[in-house]
Amino acid sequence: MNELLYNFALWLDTHDWSTRLHESYYMYNWVESTHVLTLMLCLGMLFIIDLRMVGVAFTNLPASTLARRLNLPMLIGFTIMFITGIALFYAVPVRNTQSIWFRIKMVLLVAAAVNAFLFHRNMVNAAGDWDAQARAPANLRLGAMLSLVFWGLIVICGRLIAYDWFDCEYTQPGIMQTLSGCVPDQTIF
Amino acid sequence: MSTIAASTFSIGSYRRTIIVVLLVLGTLLFSVVPVWPVEECVGDDCLVTLRRHVWVGLYDFFLWMETTWFGVIGKTWGAAFALVEAFHLLAMALLGGSVFVADARLLGMGFKDVPPQQILDKAHKVFVWALAVALFTGIFMACGVAGKIYFLPVFWYKMLALTTGILFVFFVKRPLLRQGLENLSPLSVKLIAVSSIMVWVTVAATGRWIGFAGS
Repeated sequence: MNELLYNFALWLDTHDWSTRLHESYYMYNWVESTHVLTLMLCLGMLFIIDLRMVGVAFTNLPASTLARRLNLPMLIGFTIMFITGIALFYAVPVRNTQSIWFRIKMVLLVAAAVNAFLFHRNMVNAAGDWDAQARAPANLRLGAMLSLVFWGLIVICGRLIAYDWFDCEYTQPGIMQTLSGCVPDQTIF
Repeated sequence: MSTIAASTFSIGSYRRTIIVVLLVLGTLLFSVVPVWPVEECVGDDCLVTLRRHVWVGLYDFFLWMETTWFGVIGKTWGAAFALVEAFHLLAMALLGGSVFVADARLLGMGFKDVPPQQILDKAHKVFVWALAVALFTGIFMACGVAGKIYFLPVFWYKMLALTTGILFVFFVKRPLLRQGLENLSPLSVKLIAVSSIMVWVTVAATGRWIGFAGS
């Protein structure tokens, strides 16, 4: 599996546009800045929805109304983050593929997506007059708290990708080599 | 009698706005007007602005920042610095969320059926908490790399934008909005919202650029 991913990353790395994006000081930094700044839109909206569900913020507004209204700007932000994220991966494919933080981030993204799907389904199915109450029902509160934790960890992992502590060029314990996706006798990037 | 009372009220309610305008003008004068010539100067660089004088004087303070606990921890443990940096980003995300929600309501782009004051007051509470965390983590990070950021123009742009943003929120936006939207012209309300979004996006963007400029 690691070898397959490594070969795929190597193939991406041969693309002229990948090199151009990586080598362009302004373009790369603009893409990365957009990726990070869109946090304010996407995660900003998401955190407010989650904090409302757990009864910490905006408790005077109906919870489902707040969630519905903030859904669109959140998705716009997420789309921009997703596109710029792919561009950032494309610019440095091998190192990202072999970054343990990037890999954890991807797993957490999947977990956050599943949690978002379940949260949305529970919210639609929730019965009663919970909408006007300060705290949402227990299953929605749990979903909101999980969302806060997952996205918090995603941001932390995203930030840690920049650090090279577990890069393949360093000697690591065997398990770390495997988890990072290092391939024996590979070219070091 | 009522005219005098109305005019006093009007000046009184804009008192903080006037103070902020004077502060901004003072900052500009501070930055561009030369205060005295450099002794034995040669060439074009003979006039020193107060800003440059203060900047040179601040170097010792920045060196001291690196010797504080925050500075030592930030410089010694890369993991601690990275973790605090991530929390700084999370705080900025929350700050951005509160700003966008409040300003979207002011621009009439959402929650039109909800009284604005309900949104604005709650958003401000979230904003204050997010700002407090962002300031705390920001100071920690600044201590860790104080000797480097001192020489980065973008760091000073960020400080200027941050100061402007804080002054704007607490001395312009909040006092004006506390009067009630019905007492403000629609144009003023929209201007407040657009200015608020612009200043906080500038704070975030200049902050991000510190990382690029310093690498």
